Amino acid sequence: MIIFVQTLSKAIALGSIYAILALSFVLIFKGTQVLNFAAGAISMAGAMFMSILVADAGIPFLPWGNPLAPDAGDTASIPMWLVHLVIALMLAALLGLVLERIAIRPMIGQPLFTMAVITLGLEIAIRPFNLDAVAITGRSVGIPWGTETWSVGGAIFPKSYLAAMVAAALAFVFVFWFYRSRFGIAMRAVAFDQEAAMAQGINVGRVFAMAWALGAALAALAAIFFAMAPWPPAGNVSLEIHPFWVFRVLPVVVLGGLDSVVGALVGGLIIAFFEIFAGQYLAQWTSILGPGYSTIVPYLVMLVVLLIKPFGLFGTEEIRRV
Amino acid sequence: MSLGRPLLRTSYSEDTAIFPTWFQKGAASFLLLSLVLMALGAPVFGDIPKFLLGNTWLNPVSKTLTFAVAALGINILVGVTGQVSLGHAFFMGSGAYTAVVLGGASDDGWRACIPFHDNLGLLEQQGECGLGLPMWIWLPASGAVAAMIGILVSPAAVKVRGLYLAIVTVGLVFIGLHLGRMLPEYAGDFESGRKWPKMDIRLWKEETPLVALNEDGQWFGLIYLSEEQKKFFFLLAVVMLMMWFAKNLVRTRTGRALQAIRDRDVAAEVMGVPEFHYKRLGFAISSFYAGIGGALFASLNGRVSPVDFGLLLSVDFIAILLIGGAGTIAGTILGTLFVELLPRMVEKLTAWMTSKLEGEGTISAIANFLLTSGQEGDFGPISISTTSPGWPMSVFLWNLVIYGVLIVVFLIFEPLGLFGIWLRVRNYWKGWPFSY
Amino acid sequence: MKLKRMFALLMAFGLIAAACGGDGDDVDAGTATTAAAPDEEDAMTDEEMEAMEDEDAMTDEEMEAMEDEDAMEDEGEGAMEEAAEVLTDFGVTETTIRIGLNADLSGPFASLVSEIVEAQVVYWEAVNDAGGIAGRQVETVILDSGYATDKGIENYLELAQESEEGVVMISENTGSPITAAIAEDAAEDNMLVIPLSWASLWPDPANANILEKQTTYCAESMNGVSWLKSKVEADGKEAKLAIISRPGEYGADGAAGAVIAAELLDIEVVYSGIGEVAGDDRTAVIAQLVASGATMVWTTLTPGELADVFGNAVAQGFEADWSGNGPSFSYPALLSSDLAPLFDQYYWQSGYAVPWNGNDSEGMKTLVAAMVERRPDAVLSDSYITGWIEGIMVETILLQAAENGDMTRAGVVAASQQVSIDFQGISPNQSYNGTFDEIVVRESYIFDVDATTFDLQPVSAGTGSSGLTLIEGPFVADITADYQFGGPCI
Repeated sequence: MIIFVQTLSKAIALGSIYAILALSFVLIFKGTQVLNFAAGAISMAGAMFMSILVADAGIPFLPWGNPLAPDAGDTASIPMWLVHLVIALMLAALLGLVLERIAIRPMIGQPLFTMAVITLGLEIAIRPFNLDAVAITGRSVGIPWGTETWSVGGAIFPKSYLAAMVAAALAFVFVFWFYRSRFGIAMRAVAFDQEAAMAQGINVGRVFAMAWALGAALAALAAIFFAMAPWPPAGNVSLEIHPFWVFRVLPVVVLGGLDSVVGALVGGLIIAFFEIFAGQYLAQWTSILGPGYSTIVPYLVMLVVLLIKPFGLFGTEEIRRV
Repeated sequence: MSLGRPLLRTSYSEDTAIFPTWFQKGAASFLLLSLVLMALGAPVFGDIPKFLLGNTWLNPVSKTLTFAVAALGINILVGVTGQVSLGHAFFMGSGAYTAVVLGGASDDGWRACIPFHDNLGLLEQQGECGLGLPMWIWLPASGAVAAMIGILVSPAAVKVRGLYLAIVTVGLVFIGLHLGRMLPEYAGDFESGRKWPKMDIRLWKEETPLVALNEDGQWFGLIYLSEEQKKFFFLLAVVMLMMWFAKNLVRTRTGRALQAIRDRDVAAEVMGVPEFHYKRLGFAISSFYAGIGGALFASLNGRVSPVDFGLLLSVDFIAILLIGGAGTIAGTILGTLFVELLPRMVEKLTAWMTSKLEGEGTISAIANFLLTSGQEGDFGPISISTTSPGWPMSVFLWNLVIYGVLIVVFLIFEPLGLFGIWLRVRNYWKGWPFSY
Repeated sequence: MKLKRMFALLMAFGLIAAACGGDGDDVDAGTATTAAAPDEEDAMTDEEMEAMEDEDAMTDEEMEAMEDEDAMEDEGEGAMEEAAEVLTDFGVTETTIRIGLNADLSGPFASLVSEIVEAQVVYWEAVNDAGGIAGRQVETVILDSGYATDKGIENYLELAQESEEGVVMISENTGSPITAAIAEDAAEDNMLVIPLSWASLWPDPANANILEKQTTYCAESMNGVSWLKSKVEADGKEAKLAIISRPGEYGADGAAGAVIAAELLDIEVVYSGIGEVAGDDRTAVIAQLVASGATMVWTTLTPGELADVFGNAVAQGFEADWSGNGPSFSYPALLSSDLAPLFDQYYWQSGYAVPWNGNDSEGMKTLVAAMVERRPDAVLSDSYITGWIEGIMVETILLQAAENGDMTRAGVVAASQQVSIDFQGISPNQSYNGTFDEIVVRESYIFDVDATTFDLQPVSAGTGSSGLTLIEGPFVADITADYQFGGPCI
């Protein structure tokens, strides 16, 4: 029972992180019809911004120090850390804006896969900067609760798990709220029909920029919460937030439906549930299933679901006309 | 027939010809001839290949030729049939592993080829599977096996479409990696892999090959060639054959059916083109190419491991296709050259810049501005004196950055790919002197 | 054919003897080489002996093929007596010696390897400032493989080209996969290669031109597990071992050593997760590890994998003493992470050399002084030691080759079999002549992880530490000392 509860908490926590990153994919895809392969590099850059702010007491791209940062050697208090988190996310959003303006905006309307290859080029170009920056020493994201855990009736819960769940909850509440705002309605209108939206006087360019800003911020959010122990980066921005962890999230996005916000949440939880529970409870059959079998569980789940529902659980079904 | 007014066709056979104009015929034979002469060491384009790729430029180009075979396959699936697949690396892997199972060396004979033999206790210890058959068996077989796997996968393409299909095929790559871990009797060590059969032409398992490709020496008693040159010519011949086949496929009934599926599958079906049949065919042919390409690539490398057939390889092929120009044979080949050789060219370019650091002139000034040797007062983003991480960043990381930026810039300025450039040049001359 | 081989063998010995004629020390080295053969007879089976002879004959044959005429002429003219007259082929001219580095500078190991390369470059700067080797300046050709096998092979072919642009030897070749991929070509080209890999595949006399430095993963695991057992038993716990490793040569080799040690020491293996840490999700390994009740864990992983398995197991209340092969642990990544205090408490690092500024040996002083002088701003790193060691190896071999009067590629390979490399106290000394068992280095180093001292400073600051405190080293466990290595452990 203890093991079950611990496993469940881990599954929900991982599902939350998946859901946040999937949400980033969905927003960008819905808004601009781009499958963002650069999400890995952007998310790692976002975590780097956090690290520079909170651990190096600096400001990214600027020579000045960060007046809000905790003293050297201390970790920030939780409210201060959250303030820094918000700043880091805003910086990531800024990065998203810049990338959108430089590389995506000139290409709107191009085929889907041309856009995908462009984001891939962005990924290749940004990755070395991340690699270079984390190479000398791990960069801490200064998590106030570190590796602390709660113990409830024998079961142990890392605080980071709860943090990930809260972050996901807030992210989704924010996005739902945003979609009901004036700007969000504009965004949905653009996603539904670009030309009609333009005819209504909606500034489509601004909507695109907004989608990328939000998407980049969400990717950074996922990376920062994935950087916490006991996830492998263990409090650092490290190459474990590998640029290609994007591919761990693809099954989630597809399972939920490429253009469904609810799908991102449900997909994330389902995939993480299967992945973690298969890992925990089938472990004694590793010799038959092969080492690392739980890595392909998400893809198998995705395959089964897609063969029943070809557009994911919540994706918009494309109506085929001649 | 005129020297070639593009798009002016006076007969149906002209419309479906491989090279519709005399200009294209001439250009194609000129390129082929100069490539052959260049490989033989003749200074056709002077030192350009050496400058771009280094003295041993034939090696990367040979590797690129093996990729070109696989790229022709992805062109047929994505460019012609319109089914986007990110599983190409998996099909390449299946071809490569077929090659090593049929052609590889083994101490334990066929017994080692039974899956999980060490779990079943068939052999004293883990052995690697290999039957030692000659290339004329393993090379076509690698294509055939990959094609069969392609056929098995193809039903998914009828059910799942577009982007969803692309991501479903990503799953194939991960399943392939997992099989690589599970079946060391085929794959060898997960990271270091195992040895691949060499590209030697034998009748059967005889000791001295009929045509030795892996040793310097006389070829057919005619001409003295180095090992690299022999491999290059063999691969060039294979690529030519595969290109010819691909071109013929595209310009015949089957090709038109595949294109109809790409343009609108429902419409095609209404017109009597069976959707499932042709999607299956598209997958089969594409996987056949991938299998051959994978087998050649692994054989040329000599040693390959499952991790080499990872997702990045699949993604590379999508990049190749879009940069070359989807749906065109020539574009696919150009795209392969661009994507696979560009990183190396960037490296050579930065190395050349470094060598120009001392001296006068514009290039030296640019080099001085960009490069820094780490001394006091020498600023620049690219560090050449140190490989240590930190700012200024080492030139090796900058090579990657430049590569990524070039891909983005290229696609922004030429979304139709390299083939698009050709179209623009052609259209300019088509209307000349009234080119507007 | 047989006759030809015999002739080749004679020729080679004659060459060595003639070359060593001038200097007293080298006569010793030379005779040691020839005298080693009779000693081996009792230790080896006939088969092995034959295999060795074959190998000798082969390399010599190739040597002969390459030098045939030149060498004989030179000998006839008595050119050997003049040290200045040196036989050369590719990569060595009157004024320069070109050596190649086929390193991963942009791939997964870039951060580690770039520092290794940096230290080696500094080594050559120092050597060149002191007049170079045999009056020649050393030039490094650095190519980046990005840890991709195909790229690594292309780089190798570029370095091995038989012209002015080629190199005489490769002083750094990152990783087992690329080393395995080029091993055959390197033997054909007589190219000496120093791999950055500690797998027990390379000390093989059959691979005379692949020079592994320091101990193997296998021997290291045997030392580590023995040490861990004494540690656990000193704490009054029963020794129950869990072995976890990743797939591939590195994981298999490290785990093989741990299995051997467990057998020899009668340790109960409660969980054997060999090759099971694969993919991005390690829940299955963690579940089995926690359920196993192990008191000691031996890991052959990457730092990222270790952080995941270790962090999650500890977070689930799993308490044991952990250790693992050197590359499992990375102080810059793990000691700056939130897991640092936990690693301090539970983890014992094993390594191949003394850490940065870790002892008062001559070699360490030279290294520190050179780095402080030439790269004052570089952050201190234990990786510099690896690069420095490669530098010492190459210099010793090239000096020997110069003394032999033969700086051809084959001559360099031959010289590598004669030298005994003195690492001046930063790593166990090594020589490459003899059987597998004789070549294998058995010494490794055991460190205590001390998160409180971890402080990365520029080398010029003179303070700071990588957070590793030497407990024992060079350390050889009894089982490792007695163990006969007949070949690779895997």
